[in-house]
Amino acid sequence: MKNMTVFLTMGIAAWFAGNTHAASPYAGKAKAAAVCAQCHGIRSPAAEAPFPVLAGRDVQYLRMALKQYRDKTRTAPIMNNIAGSLSDRDIDDITAYYSRVTP
Amino acid sequence: MKTTIMRLARIFFLGFSILLCWSGTVQAGNATADKKAHRLYQDNCASCHGADYGGYLAPALNAETLQGRSPTALRSLIMVGSFDTLMPPFYGRLSDDDIRLLVGHIQKTPRQPNPEWTLEDMKASLKIYVKDESKLPTAPTYRIGGMDDLIGVAARGKYGRGNGSEAIFIDSGSHRQVGRVPTVTAAHIIDFNPARPRWAYVKTDTAEIYKVDLYSMQAVRSIKTGFNGPGMGVSRDGKYIMAGAFVPHVAVILDADTLEPLKTFQLEGVDPDGKFVSSDSGMVIGTPFADIFAIALENAGQVWIVDLQEGFPVTKIKNVGRHLHDAFLTHGGRKLMVASYDDSIVAAIDLQQRKLIKKLPAGCVPHVGGGAAVVVDGRTLGFGTNFGTCDKTVVSVWDLDKMELLKQVPVSGGTESPAAHANAPYVAVDIISKDRRARTIQLIDKKTLEVAKTLDVGGHAYFPEYSADGRYLYVSAGYNGDEVVVYDSTTLKKVAAIAMESPAGIFSRGRVKYMTRGLSPDVMQE
Repeated sequence: MKNMTVFLTMGIAAWFAGNTHAASPYAGKAKAAAVCAQCHGIRSPAAEAPFPVLAGRDVQYLRMALKQYRDKTRTAPIMNNIAGSLSDRDIDDITAYYSRVTP
Repeated sequence: MKTTIMRLARIFFLGFSILLCWSGTVQAGNATADKKAHRLYQDNCASCHGADYGGYLAPALNAETLQGRSPTALRSLIMVGSFDTLMPPFYGRLSDDDIRLLVGHIQKTPRQPNPEWTLEDMKASLKIYVKDESKLPTAPTYRIGGMDDLIGVAARGKYGRGNGSEAIFIDSGSHRQVGRVPTVTAAHIIDFNPARPRWAYVKTDTAEIYKVDLYSMQAVRSIKTGFNGPGMGVSRDGKYIMAGAFVPHVAVILDADTLEPLKTFQLEGVDPDGKFVSSDSGMVIGTPFADIFAIALENAGQVWIVDLQEGFPVTKIKNVGRHLHDAFLTHGGRKLMVASYDDSIVAAIDLQQRKLIKKLPAGCVPHVGGGAAVVVDGRTLGFGTNFGTCDKTVVSVWDLDKMELLKQVPVSGGTESPAAHANAPYVAVDIISKDRRARTIQLIDKKTLEVAKTLDVGGHAYFPEYSADGRYLYVSAGYNGDEVVVYDSTTLKKVAAIAMESPAGIFSRGRVKYMTRGLSPDVMQE
């Protein structure tokens, strides 16, 4: 019985380890440069561009917005398409990165 | 019966007139739409794709080059931009209707004939922002060790025009921005007046030249010298500017003080294959060696030497190479090394004897940028970057005294601009190959002539430049990097980053002292 508990605990721990991760701003940096920066820039979008600043925004807000765009509960054709290509992990990484950039 | 015929005829006539009227409106409507589309093209596309639809920094957009391309694909490309190029997203900036109109327009418009831009047109375009220059401050209005510490950056702005397009000046002592001069369209080249340290000249991709007062950091005058083209040089006495254009095929000599145009030159001649051609202007350069300008005629494959005396007489050196582009000086400015794209050579020209001395191998499609030359163990070595569109990606090193190829250093991709300094251990080259390598610059050890280190700058890193004292290496993080990054030139540790929009060319005022980057700032080398 005791062995069983240990086994179970280890199993749960392994399950968690496989499913959660700390968001990586380094991975986010590469992804942001490839996916977001064309319009939103790194520190700021172009002076002449209509796109909002992402650098330094609240991480929860960024994550929520990207997930809404991805799930199409918030509609904007271009953002729905772009966010549609992102995994949960990508979203966590990208938002961890942008929230740390000084605008 | 007759009435019926009459009636029928009347109906027919009426119908015909309605038809006539209708087609008339359609035609008038088309003409208005064409006019609008042409305006949209000139305002949004022309600074990179060419005012003549023939391409410039970016590909040609006309009926021939876009034949068979899907209008939907073109529309989405315009909307979202093109990754890792200068092409920005126009979504939200142009309406969907305008983008559709533009796509239709470029797909049916042929490349336009060379437009006219005469001396009179230039004169009429002269703008004066500061009427009385004697009232300008007599010393810099900001703290700086010396004027040579100034570094100018051509910040293109994402859209190649508008509020992001500026010439930005940095004090390389403190790495702080000390001035910003709006240029309306993308700044491309910044030249400093060798004789009068307060003046700089900024040329844009739409061929305006701004005369900039570096003490008060503002433009005092500007003139439009053509429609597209970066070529510009300043004479050694600081009295003349020469500018050359891609559109139209014209060069002009200006009074450096007033920017008044003095003489224009039609760029045309017989190319190395015996064909008479009208030609884009390649590099234009002044030299500390003599009161002359040298200008490369890209398509004619000629280098012209213009004497700065009554009438500005021209000596033409023919058969220099196929598709000439940029160049750098050596031997006290007596010799000029000109890159020839299509022959993959660098041609050495003696400006005293006014003749071609030698053609040196230069990798694949050489683009020497501002060039670099360093003295190592008593030998003067020249460094030549090249786009490297073939398999071999190398930087060519020439012994400039013997005028022969010494080594081709393997690098990780195509390159377009080398930087060197007498006091810095490395020659920096920018890798431009369109993948992750574009984020990097590579450093070649001056002594071993091998790549010693690769720096990951970010964005699309290009145009390295050393500060005048050689202590710092400045690099533009480029298209998506939005900053200029500064490294310690010996330890290669990052020491600063200066934010700006789409920075490109970096120009140290130190260049007027050492002529070609890498040569001694103190002694003019012979």
